[in-house]
Amino acid sequence: MKSQQALNILLGIYIFIFFAYLFGPLVIMSITAFNSAEFPSVTPWECFSLRWFNEGKIAYDGQHLAGLATDWRLHEGLITSLQIGLGVVLLSVPIGLSAALVLTQVHSRFRTAFYSISIMPVLFPGVIIGISTVVLWDRIATMGGGGFATELGRNGIFLTILAQTCFISTYCFLIFVARLQRFDQTQEEAALDLGASQTQVFFKILIPYLMPAIASSCVIAFLASFENYNTTVFSILSDQTLTTVIASKVRLGISPAISALALVIILITLAVTITYEILRRREDKKKKKLAAEALFAQTQDSRLLRNGKSTSTIPKSIFVIIFIIIICIFGFNKLVEKGLYGSVCIATKEQEKQSNFAEQLKLLQNNAEVAGQTSSENGEADEKKEYDDIFGDPNLFKNFGGFDAKEEEEQGTSD
Amino acid sequence: MNYFFNKNGPLISTYLLISIGFWIVFLIVIPQLYMLDLSFRPNIPPLLRGGPDDVYTLVHYKHFLFGSETSGESYNYVDIGVFLDTILTAILITLINLCFCYPIAFYIAKVASPNTARLLIVSLIIPFWINELLRSFALRILFAGEGFINNVLIKLGVIDTGINFIAMDVALYTGLNYAYILLMIFPLYNAIETLDKNQLEAAEDLGSSMIRTHFRIVIPHAKAGIASGCTMVFMLTAGALATPVVLSSPNTFWFTQLIYQWFNMNDNWPRGAAYSIVLLSVSVVFVLLMMRIFKVKIGEIVR
Repeated sequence: MKSQQALNILLGIYIFIFFAYLFGPLVIMSITAFNSAEFPSVTPWECFSLRWFNEGKIAYDGQHLAGLATDWRLHEGLITSLQIGLGVVLLSVPIGLSAALVLTQVHSRFRTAFYSISIMPVLFPGVIIGISTVVLWDRIATMGGGGFATELGRNGIFLTILAQTCFISTYCFLIFVARLQRFDQTQEEAALDLGASQTQVFFKILIPYLMPAIASSCVIAFLASFENYNTTVFSILSDQTLTTVIASKVRLGISPAISALALVIILITLAVTITYEILRRREDKKKKKLAAEALFAQTQDSRLLRNGKSTSTIPKSIFVIIFIIIICIFGFNKLVEKGLYGSVCIATKEQEKQSNFAEQLKLLQNNAEVAGQTSSENGEADEKKEYDDIFGDPNLFKNFGGFDAKEEEEQGTSD
Repeated sequence: MNYFFNKNGPLISTYLLISIGFWIVFLIVIPQLYMLDLSFRPNIPPLLRGGPDDVYTLVHYKHFLFGSETSGESYNYVDIGVFLDTILTAILITLINLCFCYPIAFYIAKVASPNTARLLIVSLIIPFWINELLRSFALRILFAGEGFINNVLIKLGVIDTGINFIAMDVALYTGLNYAYILLMIFPLYNAIETLDKNQLEAAEDLGSSMIRTHFRIVIPHAKAGIASGCTMVFMLTAGALATPVVLSSPNTFWFTQLIYQWFNMNDNWPRGAAYSIVLLSVSVVFVLLMMRIFKVKIGEIVR
C-alpha cells in the first residue's frame, strides 16, 4: 500500500510538471505584455504599462514599434483572416456534410476507398496543399488570358479559401460521420411512409438532428482557418492574413506587442471555453433533473423527489473569481504606490537609459582620444583623424533617434 | 445511381454530387496530380511553356540527390542532410511525445475522477486553440539569449554567461515537441478510455506487476490510439513550418523551409514541387508503415 501511495505522489508531481510545461510559457508571455521594455522579457522588469496594448513606442533607432491598437497591418490581416474564415466555413461545412451523407449510402465495396480519399487531406503536410493549389491556379490564370479566371487565379484570398477548404472539409466530415452513426434511420422511413418528400425529410428531420454537429463544425472550421499558417503562407500570395503578419513580425524582430496580441487571444479562448463549459454543466443538470422527475412520475416514490435546496447553493468558482479580483486590485494599488506604473515610471527609466548611453559615449570618446594619442605618438596621424571623425561628430548619434537637446549640450560640454 | 436519386430526391442529390465532386476532384486530386506533373518539368519562363523546351525531365530530383552540376561533390549533402535531419528529428520527437503523454492519458482516462478528468481535458484544449506561431513565440521569449531561462539561471549562479539555446537547436526541438503534444494525448486518451477497468483489476488480482499490466493489457488495447497519435505527430512535425520559422537557428534548416525557399525566394516552382513530392512520399510511406506495424486500418488512424 505504501508503494501505491508513493506512486500516486510521483504521478501527481508528473502531472503538475506536465501542466506547468503546457501553461508556463503562455503565462510568462502574457506577463511580458505588461513590461514596458522593448524586448519581451520578465526579469529585467522596467515598468508596468499598457503601452503595448495601445500606442506602442518609438525606439532609439527611430523604428516604430507599434502597439496593438495602432498597428494597421495587424488590423488589415485580421480583416482578411475573418473573410477567409467566413469563406471556409461556407464552403467546408456543406462539403463535409454531403460527404458524410454519401458515406452512409455508398455501397459497402466502395466505402473504404471513399473514406480513405476523404481523410487523405488531413494526412498531407499543410505546406503541400498550399503549394499544389497555387501551382494549379497559376496555370489556370495563365491559360485564362487576362479574363475572369486570371483575376481569380491571382487572388490570394480566393486561393487560400480553396486550399484551406481542402483539409478543413475533412474535419467537418469527421464530425458529421460521428453524429450520423447515432442517427436512427427509422425516423426517415417513418417520415417517408407518412408521405413526406425526400427534400422534406432532409430539411425537417436530418438537418435538425445534425444541428449540433453543424454548429460545432462551423466553430472548428473557423478556428482551424483562423490559426492556419502552413497552407496560408503559400496560397495567400501578396495579401496578408493575421498569421502571416505575426510570422513576419516575429522574424523581423520580436516586440511585446505580439505578447499583447497573444494575451488577447488567450483571454478570448478562455472566455469561450468557460462559457461553453458552464452551459454544458447547466444542460447536464437540467437533464439529470428531468430524468429524476421522469423516474418520480413513473414510480411515485417520494424518496426520489429532491427538495429545492440544491438550487440555492452558490457555485464554488465564485470564490476563486472574487479572490482573483481582490488580488488584482491589491496588486494594482501597490504598483501605483511604488510609482511602478504609467508614464512617470517610463519617463524615469528612459532617462536612466539615455544617461547610460551618454556615459558609454563619453567612455568611447575617451578611448578614442587615448588611442589617437598613442597612435599619433607612433606617427600615424591619419588614424587619429579617422577616429576623431567617427567619435567627434556630434551629428552622428543625433540621427540615431532618442537623443534630445539635453544630450547634445552634454556632448558640447564634454568636448 | 437511380437508387441514389430516388433516395435523396433530385434537389439534394444534385447538391451532394456537386459538392463532393468539387471537393475530391478540384481540391484534392487535380492539384496534387498537377504538382506531380510540374515536378517533372524544367524551370522555364511562362512564355516558353508548351514550347519545344517543355519536356519531361528528372532534373529536379537529380538536383535533390546529386546537387547542381557545377558543384564538385558527388551527392547533394546539404539537401539530403536537411532531409534526413528533418525525418530523424520528427521520429525522435514522436517517440518522446509518446513516452511523455502516455502517463497523462492513462491518468485522465482511468485514474482520475470524472470531474477531474473533465477539468484536465478542458485545460488541455485551451493552449491547443492558441496559434502555433504564438506558442512558438512564447518559447522564444523563454529561450532567447537574454530570455527568461538564461536570466534565472544566471541569477541562481548556475551559469555565468547565457546559453545560446536557439543556436543549439534546443529551442527548436522543444518547440516542436510543445506544438503537437496534444495531438498525441487525445488519441491515446480515446483509446485507453474504452478499456474495461475490470481487466486492470483482474490483472492486479492475478498478481501482475504494474509495468507488466501496461505492456500486456493497456498498450495492446490502445494500439490504434498509439498508431493514430504517432502518425499525426510525425506528419505535423515533418511538415511543420511555423515553429521552425520562429525558433530555428540561422544555420539550421527544416525541410519545409527548403521548399519555401525554392518557391518564394528562388522562384523555382518545379523544384519546389519536386521537393514537396519527396516530402509527400515520405509521409505516405510513414502512414503505410504505421498501418503495417500496428495492423490498423486507415480509418482508425484519423478520427
